[in-house]
Amino acid sequence: MYPKEIEKYLLKVQKPGRYVGGELGEVIKDKQDVDVRFAFCFPDTYEIGMSHLGIKILYSLFNEKPYIWCERVFAPWIDMEEQMRAHDIPLYALESGDPLTDFDFIGFTLQYELSYTNILNMLSLGGIPVLSKDRHDLNHIVVAGGPCACNPEPITDFIDIFFLGDGEEVDLEVIELYRDYKRAGKSKEEFLRAAAQISGVYVPALYDVTYHDDGTIAAITPMDGAPATIEKRAIMDMDSCYYPDNFVLPNIEIVHDRAVMEIFRGCIRGCRFCQAGFLYRPVREKSVDCIDRECHALCRNTGYDEVSLSSLSSSDYSQVVPMLKRLNAWAKPEKVSLSLPSLRVDGFTDDILDEIKSVRKSGLTFAPEAGSQRLRDAINKNVFEDELINTCRVAFEGGYTTVKLYFMIGLPTETMDDVAAIAELGRKVVDTYYSVENRPKGKSPRVTVSASSFVPKPFTPFQWEPQDTMPMLREKQQHIRQSITTKKITYNYHDSDTSFLEAVFARGDRKLNKAMLLAHQRGMRFDSWGDCFSLQNWLDVFEACGIDPAFYANRRRSFDEILPWDHLDYGVSKEFLKRECERAYASQTSPNCREACMNCGAKKYGGGVCFEKR
Amino acid sequence: MKNVRVFFSKTGAGKYISHLDTNRVMLRAIGKSRLDIWHTEGFHQHAYITFALPLSLGFASDCESMDFRLLDDDVDLDEIPAKLNACLPLSIRVYRCAEAKHKAADIDSAAYDVRIEPMNASDISVKELYDKLNGFLDLSEIIVEKKTKKGKKQVDLKGYILDCSTDFSETVLLKLRLPAGATLNINPSLLIGAFEEYCGIELYADVTRIGIYTKEGESFE
Ligand code: SF4
Repeated sequence: MYPKEIEKYLLKVQKPGRYVGGELGEVIKDKQDVDVRFAFCFPDTYEIGMSHLGIKILYSLFNEKPYIWCERVFAPWIDMEEQMRAHDIPLYALESGDPLTDFDFIGFTLQYELSYTNILNMLSLGGIPVLSKDRHDLNHIVVAGGPCACNPEPITDFIDIFFLGDGEEVDLEVIELYRDYKRAGKSKEEFLRAAAQISGVYVPALYDVTYHDDGTIAAITPMDGAPATIEKRAIMDMDSCYYPDNFVLPNIEIVHDRAVMEIFRGCIRGCRFCQAGFLYRPVREKSVDCIDRECHALCRNTGYDEVSLSSLSSSDYSQVVPMLKRLNAWAKPEKVSLSLPSLRVDGFTDDILDEIKSVRKSGLTFAPEAGSQRLRDAINKNVFEDELINTCRVAFEGGYTTVKLYFMIGLPTETMDDVAAIAELGRKVVDTYYSVENRPKGKSPRVTVSASSFVPKPFTPFQWEPQDTMPMLREKQQHIRQSITTKKITYNYHDSDTSFLEAVFARGDRKLNKAMLLAHQRGMRFDSWGDCFSLQNWLDVFEACGIDPAFYANRRRSFDEILPWDHLDYGVSKEFLKRECERAYASQTSPNCREACMNCGAKKYGGGVCFEKR
Repeated sequence: MKNVRVFFSKTGAGKYISHLDTNRVMLRAIGKSRLDIWHTEGFHQHAYITFALPLSLGFASDCESMDFRLLDDDVDLDEIPAKLNACLPLSIRVYRCAEAKHKAADIDSAAYDVRIEPMNASDISVKELYDKLNGFLDLSEIIVEKKTKKGKKQVDLKGYILDCSTDFSETVLLKLRLPAGATLNINPSLLIGAFEEYCGIELYADVTRIGIYTKEGESFE
């Protein structure tokens, strides 16, 4: 229910449906009946936030508890923000229409670094002081989780609690603690100190960080009995892990409007650039029985006729074909189509193609990431050219004409020859199309080559690496363009400016809080949107704060430097990451978790792929 | 196979569901309700539904309708509203289902309740606004620019106002009937825009479509 007074302004903004709630499946409770009100905030637009699986899981999980009412809040687009600021309408939650100040918890999900300014903007639009130290009472506790919580140092001044790892258990434990402390009339400080004792909870205010003269970290010291390292939480039994049997069904078009079934967490692969591949170790699968049951219920309850079987690399599910057959037993007759996103090149077998053929012929997407085999070996992307070509052949024979290939530039050890090989690989795919005899008649192939800029991330073997400077990245972008000789290839590249800012924040330390605050005060937000992002504005902010962004983005760290996230433990050891980094320098691949265990450290969680029979 | 028509209202948050999105919401509701309806054939099969007269974004309505073909002739039509309502947001309510009486092409006019108030209450009182509205409606002609497929065209709205009456309480109420349908469709926003220009004050209008009529003056059913 939206506040009545906004009605007058809704027709002045684009897509007013973003701001009114009232969807089927939204949870409405009586606020008198609940002890804890939780505002689940997604720091981006409604269409993006509503497409996100994490929010769907936690929203339903929290609302299953009679004493919690969890509501949704999204970042208003700039036109709506203008109306809200002009007419003193505070940011409100979609279910109740109540402002953020009515909530006990204000929780953010940290999906990408460029959404940080939106967090500050949402707090201020909601009338909540942005700085943690300015919020004194035991209410308006600002919490955050999600992948970027693995190095949340640039936003430690604003957030009271970070959740590390899987949220399903730890979030509820903290909410329950809050309920007890609230009843007992305790202070915010007492609550935070007690919360810090829960595994997976990081209370940044309880850690003191000191620096050397050169700006690197001298020490990270816990205070008030907080643990020296904070370990992420990992749910080991996925079959008993909560999964929603219904979603909030949007009334307006969103980015991904379909049922989503999570089939496993983690990834066996260990691609060295991929943060998710390390953060979510070890791989933990749901059983086919469980997927079948949960997926069918979800499709029935939502009415969706398309379900995406989601994971970091869906064809790596150990029972992929039996699972697809099992699902299709009801999905086919009920006219529900299955899709397998993030399909690997080598995962595209005839068996799988048979089961998902009904989905769509719009195109295939593969991510070889690097053009040359040498560089693919260095990044441990174990994809071989002949596999890619064979897969494309299978697809072309099956009637596909469109292939999208995703690459990265600026990868460690990359040379200009590696860069040119990107164009070369695109050309080979085009040639493959013409070599297929029963290719679609009279159609020419469309091969899209996309190049994004590599951003080194914490908890990866490349966490010590410098990012290529922007001039270097631009030169590589142009080098690909010049190397493409056929019109059948469409070439896109992502703006290197945003990648640079992402690199600054991904491996930033607490000194960046100052810049974040200043950027917010200067009205910056929606940095992930071309309409709003300005690198120059950010460079001005850094200069005003005496910060050199290259220190974070373009500097090579030594293996023995204390990194800003060294007190956080995601299961993968620093020793393992060093070993993997050195293997990258030697262009040497590593086997995946199913082939051989590389002793990354995640075995300590006591389950998952680490204990499968090899 | 039976051609049926469901009638529904769209209010509150439903006003902000565009025509395209209404189509999507309805398709999903039909899927969820498991009503057995005719699907288009071919590669992208989908349930076949049609709407008689699109409703502008921001308008409420008491009289929307949607047609589809039921595959099972034995379904009790009186049960369909409840089945669909269980699968629709509260802002869209199906209140009747019957076999279609008229064709969409029979539609000739639509009636609206337009509640008008100033965007800023301090700009003008409701009584003054009411007087202004009556003055405006008494003009001998109301010329506006109407976008057509062939470009912009000057039209005199005065001749298109089939019925109208005014009243006021908390807001000014304008009851209006205008041509509607595939051949000639006059959106009340045109008239409201012209009135706003006439007043020189920013206005807010809450529009509800309250009836759709055929050439014979019958309620569209
Ligand atoms: S401990 Fe071994 S099997 Fe387990 S996640 Fe790490 S590398 Fe893979």
